[in-house]
Amino acid sequence: MEREVDGWIQQLTQCKQLTEADVKKLCDKTREILMEEANVQPVRCPVTVCGDIHGQFHDLSELFRIGGNSPDTNYLFMGDYVDRGYYSVETVTLLVAMKLRYRDRVTILRGNHESRQITQVYGFYDECLRKYGNANVWRFFTDLFDFLPLTALIENQIFCLHGGLSPSIDTLDHVRAIDRVQEVPHEGPMCDLLWSDPDDRCGWGISPRGAGYTFGQDISEAFNHNNGLTLVARAHQLVMEGYNWGQDRNVVTIFSAPNYCYRCGNQAAIMEIDEKLSYSFLQFDPAPRTGEPLVSRRVPDYFL
Amino acid sequence: MAAAVAVPEHKLSESPNSRAIEIFDWTVTAETGPISSATHSDALHAALGIPLPEMTFGSNFLQLTHRPSGWTYAFRAEDALKGVKNGPLDAGDGGVKVGYADDWLRSRTGPDSQIPMPQTVTTKPYDWTYTTTYAGSLEDAGSGNAQWVSGEATNALHAIPIAELSRPDPILFYAEIPLFEDELHDNGASHLLVRIRVMPTCIFILSRFTLRVDNVLFRARDTRIYHSFASTPPLVVRETRGWEAPYERLKRALPRRDDLMPLTDPNFICKTLSDMPREASQEAGAGTGWRGLGNVVQIATLQS
Repeated sequence: MEREVDGWIQQLTQCKQLTEADVKKLCDKTREILMEEANVQPVRCPVTVCGDIHGQFHDLSELFRIGGNSPDTNYLFMGDYVDRGYYSVETVTLLVAMKLRYRDRVTILRGNHESRQITQVYGFYDECLRKYGNANVWRFFTDLFDFLPLTALIENQIFCLHGGLSPSIDTLDHVRAIDRVQEVPHEGPMCDLLWSDPDDRCGWGISPRGAGYTFGQDISEAFNHNNGLTLVARAHQLVMEGYNWGQDRNVVTIFSAPNYCYRCGNQAAIMEIDEKLSYSFLQFDPAPRTGEPLVSRRVPDYFL
Repeated sequence: MAAAVAVPEHKLSESPNSRAIEIFDWTVTAETGPISSATHSDALHAALGIPLPEMTFGSNFLQLTHRPSGWTYAFRAEDALKGVKNGPLDAGDGGVKVGYADDWLRSRTGPDSQIPMPQTVTTKPYDWTYTTTYAGSLEDAGSGNAQWVSGEATNALHAIPIAELSRPDPILFYAEIPLFEDELHDNGASHLLVRIRVMPTCIFILSRFTLRVDNVLFRARDTRIYHSFASTPPLVVRETRGWEAPYERLKRALPRRDDLMPLTDPNFICKTLSDMPREASQEAGAGTGWRGLGNVVQIATLQS
């Protein structure tokens, strides 16, 4: 099995997709591993923490060049592997294959895009149809996504998740009590963990959208204090510098897709945590390459 | 193929983030850089008083100057965002909530709610869809104090000549200038993109705002600016068109029912909305009472 997975990883590293049968096998095997993982998956340092990737395969390769290859470097990815970029299939297949091969050295969490509903709108479903001619691969992956852990805890000190905190969750045991194996719901603590955002205002806010919470600095401070944490690390929001401290350093946002959507011009970042739990940020730019636009849609066009 | 028109003398200049053309009496500059840095975003946030769109291209602009009169018109992100409602939404603002807002709120407050609502602070009200009727900024009315006045419906010079613009004349200058984009936390998308092409006979600009709120509505507003180099005195035509329709209405127009990707394409949205009967998409809209519906043609006569 290991040799087979090594072969898959080698193939995927060249941005070549696996066969439908191999994807099925990959997802079946990885499901067994993910089923055993906790809602709050413990992670040891050293580890490198990464934010959104969104199908930007070549930028993920750049990330590994900067951060080191697996298994030499341990990785924790905080979700949003698919949608928007041109290579969601290759990106998510590679990360899942890495998880299967090095289960203790790679942790992959669920993002709000690891969902059936969202991927039908933002590109992954479409890409699977285009690359495989049917929706089976999309189904294998979205079924697997239901098993992804929601959060991770590095050395009992750094709490990592995709979105943010939830008013229904005061302690990590509340997270542990969630029945996570389901499509991302539109409400409840599981939804909040994948969707909520920090905000300037104190306390819990309801977004003007009419759904979804924002949390203030007092909330993250209390959460960190009550759970013996030093930091909440999350992804989910685009930041020009690739990372952004917030709420008096109680929260850090990490975004790992440079030049997001091939037009934002932002830097990406990853957070390296060493054996002593001290952390540093590595920023990187997209490597220009042929066949992929640096800025999309710039071809002159006779718009009317 | 023989060139249909002679190419007039013109001067192009280019730097990494900026491109300009001087042609006849006009200077056109397009600035296209990355999204705003954290520092610039904070400053814009403070100036505007609303949370910024996820992708705010705060340094981007398109500016055109008629050199003899000094008349200067521009499209800028900050000005466009000034048109977004800051405060509670009133009649005419066309305010909406996300599709599942009622369910979400009920799950938090209803009698069988498992997850009671925490004490929340009032979130600052603003139009989270970033709807704007921005049609550009008159930065200098010039020596003749040229203001926009209503165009005459019967005057062919006060209309945008589609036939001329459909001709495959050489495009001398082309730019796409994104001003902002926001995915509305994956509840849809709000885009404002400005495009320009300078042709041997004219300048043509399309500034297009498009909004999708999943399971709720689509909204669009186009501003077209046209100037014929042959017009004497120099005339600038500005045409704005606004549309809106319930989400389901556009969903029914999809080429393939299970593929929702076209709903993320501003061109598909605008084409479908503008092909609908006027009473539907420009009067009834999606029943929000948004003031941006309908068509307006205006002209500005410059001093030669």
